[in-house]
Amino acid sequence: MERLKIKAQEIKAELIARFKSLRVIWQYSDSQPTEITLAAALVILYPIATYLEIGFSPIMQVLAPIAGLYQLYCVSGKCLSCRVRASWVTFSFYLLAAVMYLYCGLLFKGPSYWGWILLSVSSFGSLKRIKKEELHRKNG
Amino acid sequence: MDNNTQIILAVVTLLGSAGIWKYAEARLRVKAELRKEEQSSNDTVLYRDDLKSRVEEMDKALKEAHKELLALTEKVAKLETENSFLRREIDILKRN
Repeated sequence: MERLKIKAQEIKAELIARFKSLRVIWQYSDSQPTEITLAAALVILYPIATYLEIGFSPIMQVLAPIAGLYQLYCVSGKCLSCRVRASWVTFSFYLLAAVMYLYCGLLFKGPSYWGWILLSVSSFGSLKRIKKEELHRKNG
Repeated sequence: MDNNTQIILAVVTLLGSAGIWKYAEARLRVKAELRKEEQSSNDTVLYRDDLKSRVEEMDKALKEAHKELLALTEKVAKLETENSFLRREIDILKRN
């Protein structure tokens, strides 16, 4: 019984350490691949998905791909303040999709629609990471 | 969904995301400032900064010493040449 307790404590400590490690990776890892993925989804998938599910919306189907292209341009340029701006725009568009789906009553119709929330969280995480990097470089 | 609703939702979302980001940015800035303050009062960081300034001073001193050494070498070379000419003249005078 005692051995089982010790083993359980060890497993718990290991899981907590892994969770902390994941948190650190989420907060500080390089976010360029995520940014590229989010931007590519904004250019390709976003207009198609919103057009098929919500209908024609010029804000979402015309401006979002432009924002995605701007994000790709900023990532390739390696300018941090530009990346922060573009990431904020990307985050706004994903949040807009979540709000639109919520307004249309689609967001909680099926789990696949929760992807918009996931994308919003992911883009916000990416935005925070870049800002942290910018502050870190400024402060030294 | 009509155009007016879309525009209103877009504006509201934009303002919301701007508000969320302003809040998050302010928090990140405060955390960064706190970390900077902690680092500035940290002994290891102070020691490192002191070492950095000492290395800079020593580098400057080394460069100056190098310049002086070059000037001295030049002077020694001149004196050696002068000395050899003088010796030759002394020899000539002794012979006469």
